[in-house]
Amino acid sequence: MIPDEVWRSAVVPVANLQLVELNLQTWIRWALWLAVGFAGIFPGIVAYMVWLERKVAARFQDRIGPNRVGPLGLLQPIADAIKLITKENIVPRSADRIVHLLAPILVLVSAFLVMAVVPFAVGLVPVDLPSGLVYLIAVSSLSPLGIFLAGWSSRNKYSLLGAMRAVAQLVSYEVPQVLATIPVALWAGSLSLVTIFDRQLEFGWNVFSPPGFLAFATFLIAGVAEVNRTPFDLPEAESEIIAGYHTEYTGMRFGLFFLAEYLSVFGVSCVATVLFLGGGTPIPFLEFPVDLLGDSTASLIVVNLILLSVFLLKVLGFIFLMFWIRATLPRMRVDRLMNFAWKYLVPLSILNVFFAAIWYEMVIRPGGLTFGNWLRGTLVTGVLVAAAVYLTFLLNRKLAEAKPLDADWPSVAPATEAAR
Amino acid sequence: MASILFLVIATIGLATALGTVLSRNLVRAGLYLVAFFFAVACLFVLLEAEFLAAIQVLVYIGAVAILLMFGIMLTRDTMGDDTTAIPVGWMVPGLFGGLCVFAVLVVGINNSIAPSGWSPWEGTSSRPSIVKEEAEPGWVAERREAVNDMGRVIGVELMTRYVVPFEVAGLLLTAALVGAIALAHREDPDPKPPRSANRAAGPGAGDGPSTEAEEPVASSVSS
Repeated sequence: MIPDEVWRSAVVPVANLQLVELNLQTWIRWALWLAVGFAGIFPGIVAYMVWLERKVAARFQDRIGPNRVGPLGLLQPIADAIKLITKENIVPRSADRIVHLLAPILVLVSAFLVMAVVPFAVGLVPVDLPSGLVYLIAVSSLSPLGIFLAGWSSRNKYSLLGAMRAVAQLVSYEVPQVLATIPVALWAGSLSLVTIFDRQLEFGWNVFSPPGFLAFATFLIAGVAEVNRTPFDLPEAESEIIAGYHTEYTGMRFGLFFLAEYLSVFGVSCVATVLFLGGGTPIPFLEFPVDLLGDSTASLIVVNLILLSVFLLKVLGFIFLMFWIRATLPRMRVDRLMNFAWKYLVPLSILNVFFAAIWYEMVIRPGGLTFGNWLRGTLVTGVLVAAAVYLTFLLNRKLAEAKPLDADWPSVAPATEAAR
Repeated sequence: MASILFLVIATIGLATALGTVLSRNLVRAGLYLVAFFFAVACLFVLLEAEFLAAIQVLVYIGAVAILLMFGIMLTRDTMGDDTTAIPVGWMVPGLFGGLCVFAVLVVGINNSIAPSGWSPWEGTSSRPSIVKEEAEPGWVAERREAVNDMGRVIGVELMTRYVVPFEVAGLLLTAALVGAIALAHREDPDPKPPRSANRAAGPGAGDGPSTEAEEPVASSVSS
């Protein structure tokens, strides 16, 4: 117990521990979040993300995009939603009926639950769990199960292929994504997202340190893969397997998959903002004055509005980045996709945990951020991180060169067996 | 309230556990298993162990169950509906194994270690208040720490009191890993393409029971 006591007194002041008190006020707050946020605001955000994506993609492809329904096509999402709801729901005759109906709900629930621990501003967090980060990883790991069930229960070979691809991809990319959050938890000394946010007020955004930047890049790439977007959209590759796991879904059930996908894009952007970009703080290394205009409710509201708008701007930046990537890059090949996860991202993020420990010893352990510490830490860990990235790529290149040219192509079965 | 909730969750857990054992379709059985894991996670939440519940969902539903289903689809018929019957010869050893697990659980639960000054089988208790009150019994403080800082408390316990079970479990998992590789990995002298490539072309060729005969590995893994 003694080392634990020493460590704790060095890391987290006891007042900083985030606690949840179950009283009437908490229940009311949760009910409000459920009614307003989860039933109203988040689906609305998703609807207009779809509109934005169509506009952005149109811009990239030199088109106009939706412009018929309402000014600038602004009512298009509503029209789409009505269309989806009024469409006929078809369950294929040979499908496993209950599982077929359950699967989209599971995916959607997973996407919604991620939002439950994100601190949008000071005090504006649905639930502040003491172990929020683990909760977040756990609920986001539910969605591969839903996707798998969707593909399996449809009894369609394209659905099944999509499901197998999805599970292989999601399980692989979950590993680097989780490993990339370890430095953040290490530096904050806590798993609560609110504490992580608070620590970034003290020590600057996590992304402004070499290990933090590497973790951020890993997290972002793995995050794009986790939400099945191009260049990682193999599970629903239209040109190869129709629509992958949701081929057999119609009407609003297909809409639920759609909603879940865009919601998890939003969720992953929110999480990346909180973990690496200091939440809603506008300036990297300055402590944001929470009591800007004195200690009144009005001041709290003003400050929260600023924080929230900056937060949403950052999230919008991420979302735009994902649209941009989608409009620019082609799809990856399956084996390269797996290679990239297991041979590049996983070793890098494991090494990065050590670099994060070095950063912790050099910058955070002395307590309080000073320019000298920051510079020394950046120099040391920067060299290490750059060397690690270079070595990983070099080794992989050498390994690939050692093989014959077509070695990474899957071998084709003999003709007799294929014609079986 | 809490006891009704417990009864509901326990009933669901028992029902899904029975479903896992009795279901003929392997994927269905896996689904029941997922529901059972979820019921266990709910029990952890009832015990105010949110961290453990999250870990339960992450490890068992997010990883084990999915890999299980993936394994079923890769090694057996992709739809998983070969109606598997338990061979009669395996019933007695299976029953014996089940009884052993039950005995271990009974002994383990009866010897569980309670916080100081708190009998393990005594009544219910509400979540401890955040604010420290004076003249509170020792277990309240311990519970508060465990509830609000569970990750650290579990880490310390695993490295001190439960270090032997922890290491044994790690050894068991390593052995399972090596065993799985030994079962699945065959040194093929002839340059036939690996099974996985063959299989990747399989579902496109139709999802009938086409590959029953050529699967010594699959049947040895599953039996």
